[in-house]
Amino acid sequence: MTNDTTKKRKAILVTPENCIGCRACQVACKSWNQLDPIKTKNNGTYQNPPDLAGTAFNIIQFSEVPSQIDPVRWLFLSRRCMHCDDAGCMTICPSPGALFRTPEGAVAFDHKKCIGCKLCSSACPFDVPRYGADGKMSKCNLCADRIAADMTPSCVKTCPTGALKFGDRDELISAAQKEGFKTIYGEKDLGGLGTIYAFKDEPKLYGMLENPTIPTSVVFWHTYLKPLSLIGLGGVVAAAAIHYLAIGPHKEEEKEEEV
Amino acid sequence: MVEMIRKSSTDEIVNHLILAGSCILLMLTGFGFLFHVDAIGSVFGGFNTMKTVHNWLGIAFALSLLYSLHHYLIESLEYDADDLQWFKVAGGYLSHKVKVPPMGKYNPGQKLYYLAVVAFGFAIIISGIGLWFFQDNRTVMLLSHIIHNVSFVVLVIAVPVHMYLGTLANPGTLQIMVNGMMPLKDARKKHPKWIKAIGKM
Ligand code: HEM
Ligand code: SF4
Ligand code: SF4
Repeated sequence: MTNDTTKKRKAILVTPENCIGCRACQVACKSWNQLDPIKTKNNGTYQNPPDLAGTAFNIIQFSEVPSQIDPVRWLFLSRRCMHCDDAGCMTICPSPGALFRTPEGAVAFDHKKCIGCKLCSSACPFDVPRYGADGKMSKCNLCADRIAADMTPSCVKTCPTGALKFGDRDELISAAQKEGFKTIYGEKDLGGLGTIYAFKDEPKLYGMLENPTIPTSVVFWHTYLKPLSLIGLGGVVAAAAIHYLAIGPHKEEEKEEEV
Repeated sequence: MVEMIRKSSTDEIVNHLILAGSCILLMLTGFGFLFHVDAIGSVFGGFNTMKTVHNWLGIAFALSLLYSLHHYLIESLEYDADDLQWFKVAGGYLSHKVKVPPMGKYNPGQKLYYLAVVAFGFAIIISGIGLWFFQDNRTVMLLSHIIHNVSFVVLVIAVPVHMYLGTLANPGTLQIMVNGMMPLKDARKKHPKWIKAIGKM
C-alpha cells in the first residue's frame, strides 16, 4: 500500500486481556452480515462455533492455561481476518476484483467476482478464508459497508469492555503502547496488519502465530514465475522475428525441414 | 503434378488440431488469470465462466495429449549419431551453409519438443486436477499451484517456438498439419532415412 493510504488506514485493536468472552461480537457480526446459524455440538470447550466458517466471520478462541499461581486461567482471543497489508489472499487470487482493498485498508470481497477456486485459503498465513454454500469466499470485510457510512464495525460497536476498538491504526497503536502493552501483534508483520492485538503476555500464549508469512512458493511464484512467463513469451516472439530477418527461413534449394 | 507423400494421418491431424487449439486457449485464459486481464475475461462473459471453460479445455488437452502418445512417443525416444550431429550444427538454423545430417521422420529437436510437451503437459494436467478437485487440501493446493505455473512457463516458451518453426521458419511445413502431405522430392532430401525405411527412395 502506498503511504498516503497508510496514513488513514483503519484498524481493529483487540486487547484480549479485556475480553470477558461474552461473544456479543460473534452475535453482532452474524446479525449485521445476516449470516445463517451453525448447528454445533458441545465439545467440552467454551469455544463455539469451533472454528471460523463461511457464516462465522469472527470467533472467540478459547484456551485454558493453568499455572501454579493461577490454576484457573481462561484466555479469550477474538479472531477474524487480519486485513494484512501484504495479503497472501490478494496476491494469489486469479479473479480481478474478487478481493479488493477498501479505502480504509481492509481486504474486502465481492461474491459475484469470486470464482470459487479456493486458492486464497492456501495462501493466507492465518487460515482465515472460508466459503459459503455457493463455494464463494466468505470472510470478515471489516464491515466495509458500515465504515463507509461512518459507523464502526458491528463487533466493535457491541463490545461492552473495550476489548475491541476501532480507529486510525497509528493512533490505536500509540495509545496501546502508552497504556503499557509491550507487544502490539501485527504492528510490522506482513507490512502491518489491520487487526492488531495488544498483549502484555507472549502472544504465543494466546495461540497467536509467531512470524506469520505468506507461503514461500506463493512469494516465489509472484516475484519470479509471473514475470518470467511474460518475458519468456516476449523473448520467443522477439527471437523469432530476429531469426526470420537476420538468418531467414529455410530456402528451397538447401531446405532441411525442421519443426 | 508434384508427387506427394503422406506424412501425417488424418488421425494425427485432427488430434493435433484439438491439442493445439485447447493448448492455445488454455494459455490465453491462463494469462487472463495470471495478470487479471479483464479483456480476456470479458470474451467469456466474466472470470467465472472463463474458469469453467479453462477446466474443461484442460480435459480436452489431457485426452488429446494421451492420444498423441501412440503417434509420437516411440519415435521420440530413439536417437542416433545423426541426431547428435544435428545438435552440433544447431539443426541448420543458425546458418544456411552448414551441412545438416540425414534425418528420419522427425528431427531430434521435434522429438525433444514432444518429450517436453509430454512431461510438462502431464505436469500441468495433473496439477490442474489438484487445483480443481483438492481445494480443501492446502498442501496439494500449494504444490499444484507451483507445478502448474512452472509448467506454464516452460510451455509458454516451447509452444511458440514450435509454432514459428512449423510455419514461418519452414515454409511449406504447415500443410503437413493441414492435409498431411508433403512433396516426395522434399521428403527425400529432408527425411532420407524415413523415405528409405518406407521404400520410396
Ligand atoms: C497454431 C499453432 C501450431 C502450429 C501452426 C503447429 C504446427 C505443426 C506442424 C506443421 C507440425 C508437423 C511437423 C512435421 O510433421 O514435421 C506439428 C507437429 C506437432 N505439433 Fe504442432 N503446431 C501448433 C501448436 C501445437 C501445440 C499447442 C502443441 C502441443 C502443446 C503441438 C504439438 C505438436 C506435436 C507433439 C507435433 C508432433 C511432431 C513434433 O514433435 O514436432 N502443436 N505442429
Ligand atoms: S488474514 Fe488471510 S484472508 Fe485476511 S487479509 Fe490476511 S491473507 Fe487475506
Ligand atoms: S476463492 Fe475467490 S477470492 Fe479466493 S482466490 Fe479464488 S477467486 Fe479469489
